[in-house]
Amino acid sequence: MEAGSQAGSPIVKKSFASSTFMRVIKYTGVRLVVLFITVVIAIYLTILIANMGGYVDTMMRSEIEYNVTQVVATNPANRNMTSEQKKLMTEQLISLEIKRRHLDQPLALRNATYLVDALTLNLGHATNMVSDTGSRTVRLILLERLPATLLLMGTAELFLFFSSLFLALTLSRQYGSFWDKFVIAMTPTSSAPGWFYGIFMILIFAAILKIMPFSGLVSTPPPANPVLYALSVLQHLALPAFSLFFSGFFLSIYGWRTFFLIYSSEDYVDMAKAKGLTSRDIERRYILRPTLPNIITNFALTLLGVWGGAIVTETIFIWPGLGRMFYTAIGAYDIPVIVGDTIIYAYLLAITVFFLEVVYVLVDPRVKIGGGGSQS
Amino acid sequence: MSRNRITLVVGLMVAFSMMLASCSPATTTPPAIATIPPTAVPTAAPARHGGFLDQIVFSVVSSDSAVTQIQAGAIDTFAYALSSAQLAAIQASGLKYASVLGTYYTIMYNGSTCTDPNTFNPFSDRKIREATNMLYDRNYINQEIYAGGGLPKFFAIQTNGIDYADLADVARGLEAKYAFNEAQAIADIATAMTADGATMDAASGKWQFKGKPVSIIFLIRRDGDGTRLPMGHYVTAQLEKAGFTVDAQEKKSSEAGPIWQRTSVECQWNVYTAGWINSGLSRDDKGQFQQMYLPDSIQGIQPFLSNNPDPVYQQVGDDLANSKFTTLQARHDLMVQALTLSMQDSLQVMIIDTRSFAPYQTTVQISANLAGGIETAPIAFYTARFVGQEGGTLKWGESDLFSEPWNPIAGSNWAWDQGAQAAITGAAFMADPYTGLQWPLRAEKAELTVQTGLPIFKSLDWITLTTADSIPVPADAWVDWNATTQTFVAAGDGITAKTKSVVYYPADMFDTVTWHDGNKISVADFVMGMIMAFDRAKPESAIYDEQAVPYFESFMSSFKGVKIVSTSPLVIETYSDNYLPDAELDVTSWWPGNVTYGYGESPWQVIAVANLAEAAGETAYSADKSTAKTIEQTSFVGGPTLAILAKYLDQAIAANTIPYAPTMGTYLTAAEATARYASLKTWYADRGHFVIGTGPYFLYKAFLTEKSLILQNYTGYPDPADRWSNFAEPHIAVVDITGPAGAVKIGDPATFDVAVTFNGQPYASTDLKMVKYILYDATGAVVKSDVATLVSEGNYQVVLPGDVTAALAAGSNKLEVAVVSNLVAVPTFQSVQFVTAP
Repeated sequence: MEAGSQAGSPIVKKSFASSTFMRVIKYTGVRLVVLFITVVIAIYLTILIANMGGYVDTMMRSEIEYNVTQVVATNPANRNMTSEQKKLMTEQLISLEIKRRHLDQPLALRNATYLVDALTLNLGHATNMVSDTGSRTVRLILLERLPATLLLMGTAELFLFFSSLFLALTLSRQYGSFWDKFVIAMTPTSSAPGWFYGIFMILIFAAILKIMPFSGLVSTPPPANPVLYALSVLQHLALPAFSLFFSGFFLSIYGWRTFFLIYSSEDYVDMAKAKGLTSRDIERRYILRPTLPNIITNFALTLLGVWGGAIVTETIFIWPGLGRMFYTAIGAYDIPVIVGDTIIYAYLLAITVFFLEVVYVLVDPRVKIGGGGSQS
Repeated sequence: MSRNRITLVVGLMVAFSMMLASCSPATTTPPAIATIPPTAVPTAAPARHGGFLDQIVFSVVSSDSAVTQIQAGAIDTFAYALSSAQLAAIQASGLKYASVLGTYYTIMYNGSTCTDPNTFNPFSDRKIREATNMLYDRNYINQEIYAGGGLPKFFAIQTNGIDYADLADVARGLEAKYAFNEAQAIADIATAMTADGATMDAASGKWQFKGKPVSIIFLIRRDGDGTRLPMGHYVTAQLEKAGFTVDAQEKKSSEAGPIWQRTSVECQWNVYTAGWINSGLSRDDKGQFQQMYLPDSIQGIQPFLSNNPDPVYQQVGDDLANSKFTTLQARHDLMVQALTLSMQDSLQVMIIDTRSFAPYQTTVQISANLAGGIETAPIAFYTARFVGQEGGTLKWGESDLFSEPWNPIAGSNWAWDQGAQAAITGAAFMADPYTGLQWPLRAEKAELTVQTGLPIFKSLDWITLTTADSIPVPADAWVDWNATTQTFVAAGDGITAKTKSVVYYPADMFDTVTWHDGNKISVADFVMGMIMAFDRAKPESAIYDEQAVPYFESFMSSFKGVKIVSTSPLVIETYSDNYLPDAELDVTSWWPGNVTYGYGESPWQVIAVANLAEAAGETAYSADKSTAKTIEQTSFVGGPTLAILAKYLDQAIAANTIPYAPTMGTYLTAAEATARYASLKTWYADRGHFVIGTGPYFLYKAFLTEKSLILQNYTGYPDPADRWSNFAEPHIAVVDITGPAGAVKIGDPATFDVAVTFNGQPYASTDLKMVKYILYDATGAVVKSDVATLVSEGNYQVVLPGDVTAALAAGSNKLEVAVVSNLVAVPTFQSVQFVTAP
């Protein structure tokens, strides 16, 4: 009570600052621990799912036996071998392959190794896959695909995010107008995925009009001049990026528009209108500002989503991205690559969540760290 | 309001257009084969050397858009062939195409008797399995699922392959016997089921065993090319018609594998849609009967192990697999027996040989392997050109590139990677794309001596075949390698071999044949290849790799010795206990390419540098060692190992390393080593990779991330560009049969004229192996089979004597003629219907 009555004195300020600092530290520490535990659980579950609780071992052994036998049986180099020679070679090669894939080790040991390696970002070597340049290290497999994915997904998602955000804001102020209705009518176009439009884009711009390339990252052979190379990449980027952009465009506008409409009908907005503020001021101060935490969250998660790539679109456009790589890794049961891709996503997600909680405090005065959670 | 309506209409149109776009028409049309005569004689001597093209640019494109891309001019060919589903689109586009023999699909049965006595597995009864041959309509499956692009299959041997051609009359007879006949199949199944103690429940129309329905667990694969799923649905329906209760389970390979491969005796499955890889243009399918049916199959998995075949079939299959015959006729007789017995066993009912199709521009001329298409056939790169033109850039589409690191020892074996390297590499022999034999490319001639009594035969004149009662291995021949002393181990006295091949290289080879970096090929390149065949499998070696051991042990189990008889000209003798029936395929060249290394060609100095890196523990040739040691796999084409190789190249230059000096020192001088390393350094600086061959094109530049590469014509190539032009198309015979006018009176002789031509000209009788006829009666049964009589070049006659026509009932009969050529493995069948009347 006394301290409270002396609010503003240096002692109280120090005590308050100290308690705030401790609260923030404590909250931060707890959040970091909780996030880390979440990551550990997520990665362990990923490992368990990736090897289906051990059943993948049985499947992989069967596949190895079948594949090695077929290779030995049909290799022209083995044509003049006797059946016995082929059988012996088959058995030896199966044994080697089982060893190479560590299937001769206990599952629990492998799972523990995968988990520890993942958490320490020791991504190790892939069991089946290689990077584009032929490396078997998971780090290079991921890193070589990262730029292409960032370029494609970053371009498409950032364009989509900002354009839909600002168009939605405008439309929310023009409720019932032609363009508002047009966007609503076009929203079902987003029911089709990006690759669907990709096929049409290829058909129209590459096959019929012949003004855009069918697929790939760059023209073949790639230009030696860096400027021409960059231009060629941009040309190749256009169709896949636009496909992804277009498939999400109207739905995204629709979503933001509806979101902004809710805020546009708040009493304080009506009050601002009554006060005669300009539309721009109303948008910035009375609509955008209170929605900022949601926008930032959405933006952060959009950035995070860039890491995932777009599996089918990348496949159609032969775009060397992470999405296609992850899909291949799943098909090949390449657990180190699956875990490597997942752990990075998990860490990024954890960092993003943590970052967002800090940002909320900065942008929204209603949010307070610790002390029983958010208050308004 | 009107705006609202417009937006509503626009929205509906968008949704409707999306629905329409998901639909596409399907058409079926019969396949065609782009095809010529295999003579390795140049048609002219143009000034151009190397390949016909200036450049070949590889890129990766989606198979879904490949035809469209060719039509749009984005690529000139899509070498990775397209499935039957796209055959109609290829034909509609007017593009040329080459066909590729693909996977073959079968309906595999679990032939085990179940451990649970109350569970009845009907397919443990051979009679039931045999009957199902008639239950499935292979033509229907081919037309409906494979757009008519496959080949209905009855036997484990390749349909329309070399053995099939030899057995054409027997095969056609059996095909007629086991042709789709649903009613007969159901009746035969009923007889066998009843004999096995099952009863038919009249109410449900289903078979019962000990009061329970006979339930069939059918594993249907839903992955792969997707065709096994509809095939499985069809087979399910047919089995249901036969009275079985089918539990159809759709699974992926990885899900089905543990069940069908491991749980036969537990009867956790009864039927499986199996798929098997075709081994290219096979000249010898005699091992297929053991491999596809018998318990001692190399497959070594439960469905085979638990099969209980007829002992006679077991013996015949084993005799064939182990070459227990001494004459071609004896082999033929065994094959005839095996064909018949395999149908009776029917552990697998063969359904279809699938084919895929590699399309290319009509302006492009390219020779294709009859079984392998163009992707991996070396002949394709030696003949590819724009029609009537020299030069130009061919845009070569692929499904992928650089799937694994390139190195010739244990590098990428993916078809597209091997395809690109086929243009870069040379060889001692060129595979004949139409017969599967081989012709001398760099070699000049060969001699083969075989132990008396072995069933080995020759077809071509470049090889001399002799026999000997005993073939002693010279005492100074090399039989093994001492990795410690780095010297070969001499044979000593008393070793004999079953075959001895002697390959002669031309006297001027070391002056005319050069590597792409300008160095002349040398004996040291050959000796390095020989050493590498041994060294990696020796634990004492600095580059020991346990992955090499299984191959080495297999090699050593039949290898008896090698001797370099002469270095100028180069003559190499090889002694072995393994052999194939074709003498042409029994010679060992030791060319420092695919034959010796396995996955590409390389001069000794590149191997030496890579060996230094591996010995230092920084790289590994094989994926196994790379994974085990957590080091990078050696790649000559790009990636992180290039810098490592460059480092060891500098080290080799500094030390002027002569690899395996105790042996290689005999064939290599210090000055030669200096020159080789210096040119390799220059090559790497210019090209940025270590891929060096002797083929008609060299690797100008590789773009690994962009998945593209440029091959450039190698002007230093010694041969004229048109050396292999006579392989432009296969000589597939065209057969025309003219029968008697009007009906044939039963009991009277009937004469049929048979014209055999190619490109409108009579097919030379010396190029034909067989012109045979098969006479079927109205029921489809074979009445008679015999050879046709040569009347004049290209004209044959079939005369059915009166006693033969007397055996025919009144009605429609069929005379089929099978023509088998020496120039091409694919036989031609043609038939004519004729009527017999009293």
